[in-house]
Amino acid sequence: MCEAQIICRLENIHKAFGQNQVLKGVDAEVRKGEALAILGPSGSGKTTLLRCINFLERADEGTIGIGGLKVDCKQVSKRNILNIRRKTAMVFQNFNLFKNKTIVENVMEGLVQVKKIPKNTAYAESIKLLTQVGLEEHVNYYPSQLSGGQQQRVGIARALILNPDVILLDEPTSALDPELVGEVLQTIKNLTHTGITMIIVTHEIHFAREVADQIIFMDEGIVVETGSPKDVIDNSQNPRTRQFLSRFTETLNKAAS
Amino acid sequence: MRVLDIPFMLRIIPELLRGIPVCLEITCVSMICGCLIGLATALFRIYKIPVLHQLSSVYISFMRGTPLLVQILITYYGVPVILRWINYKYGTKFDISGVPAVYFMFFCFSLCFGAYLSEMFRSAILSVDPGQMEACYSIGMTTPNALLRIILPQALTNAIPNMGNTFISLVKDTSLAFTAAVAEVMGQAKIVAGRSSKFFEAYIVAAVIYWIMCIFFEQILRRLEKFSRRFERDQGTSLKVNPAAHPKRTV
Ligand SMILES: Nc1ncnc2c1ncn2[C@@H]1O[C@H](COP(=O)(O)OP(=O)(O)OP(=O)(O)O)[C@@H](O)[C@H]1O
Ligand SMILES: [Mg+2]
Repeated sequence: MCEAQIICRLENIHKAFGQNQVLKGVDAEVRKGEALAILGPSGSGKTTLLRCINFLERADEGTIGIGGLKVDCKQVSKRNILNIRRKTAMVFQNFNLFKNKTIVENVMEGLVQVKKIPKNTAYAESIKLLTQVGLEEHVNYYPSQLSGGQQQRVGIARALILNPDVILLDEPTSALDPELVGEVLQTIKNLTHTGITMIIVTHEIHFAREVADQIIFMDEGIVVETGSPKDVIDNSQNPRTRQFLSRFTETLNKAAS
Repeated sequence: MRVLDIPFMLRIIPELLRGIPVCLEITCVSMICGCLIGLATALFRIYKIPVLHQLSSVYISFMRGTPLLVQILITYYGVPVILRWINYKYGTKFDISGVPAVYFMFFCFSLCFGAYLSEMFRSAILSVDPGQMEACYSIGMTTPNALLRIILPQALTNAIPNMGNTFISLVKDTSLAFTAAVAEVMGQAKIVAGRSSKFFEAYIVAAVIYWIMCIFFEQILRRLEKFSRRFERDQGTSLKVNPAAHPKRTV
């Protein structure tokens, strides 16, 4: 693949919490319009990696390049942290919608406050996007009045409206009741056709296989394996990957029998 | 012999009521200034701003660790001394006797209640879910913007019940201003009582006036609290949940 198409590049990301070395030199590349899924056991550092990308956590070492801006995590200015954050948007595991704002205000907030778009334009755009995710009837509700699945769709809309270079999703469905998972996964799946670039941490293996263009398998703070879903999920030669995946195939087999 | 001279009590009501405007003035000015002082010092402490952070801590510790009555007397006797010293030192001509005593009270009550409010704001801000700030950062908002639009409104909602109690305390504590020769309700009661030696009656009337004022404010505060919690779930108004989620209900 040619260089120009790479929209997000992580090099040698290290992060420790005290003595606990969580990320031990992670490299990754995402091309424009691609969906990258990160798999791995609990505690392997997936959330930490995602949080390092938009500086909710400050990596100790490494470089992060997003959409033409490259920063060294050791000596990044406040200004550049803000710039990186404005090139990314995050969808949180537990939604984190603004509690004191209605649904449409949640989505508008970034447009009005960050992109400085006039209120009525921002409102119209937000309504349009909320309609696309099936929430046109709830635009004036407060987050606490919605189901988890609806809240997460708002979370996705809030990230999407900013048209970021990369959208980061951290286990977007793992806080949801099983019957609500489908609607959120469907919403994300629809995004893959819009050309938006995504990095998604998930435990939904089937979903990852279906929508991801590239899969990263992480364990204990390093990237164990990178490749297409076919290579990593179906035909992995790596024992660690296979061991991790076997848990899912087992439960699936049990469910089937 | 009668215990209470009821006609006397009725007669002095208007005179005591004349103290209410001063009482409310002190309350409102101190509440507003106190909120500003409290908010600023709370933020200095949360964000550990050098120097200001330490100064705020000392200020809050002093104000909370000394009786309001002592603070009032220090202000009443201390400020004129300081002004006189400034006049002497810098050749300025502040007219000390021209400053109404009530201004001293604004100053004193604002500082005192600012300290209490600061502690309240601090814990209210810290009790906002950290995920809210992260969400602000994730869409590229700056810290001041995030504070102003998301964190402080939520913190204020958390703080409103406590602020209401502080407000009520403040209304009652203005009665201490009589020690600085301010003729609020208590001051008026003392004047009237001194004239007739009917201290018991005058103070009972004063007590009833404070009581009624506090009941009135409690009602207002209750409404304010209810309004401020409109975006929380267990509120009567929030039952317009998506009907599709409740298939049994016929719409
Ligand atoms: N703020 C923090 N302070 C200290 N340790 C942390 C912090 N955040 C994460 N860790 C530690 O970092 C390690 C990796 O955590 P992380 O949340 O990145 O894992 P994960 O791969 O996302 O796991 P899961 O699948 O359970 O979400 C864990 O051992 C965790 O205890
Ligand atoms: Mg995680």
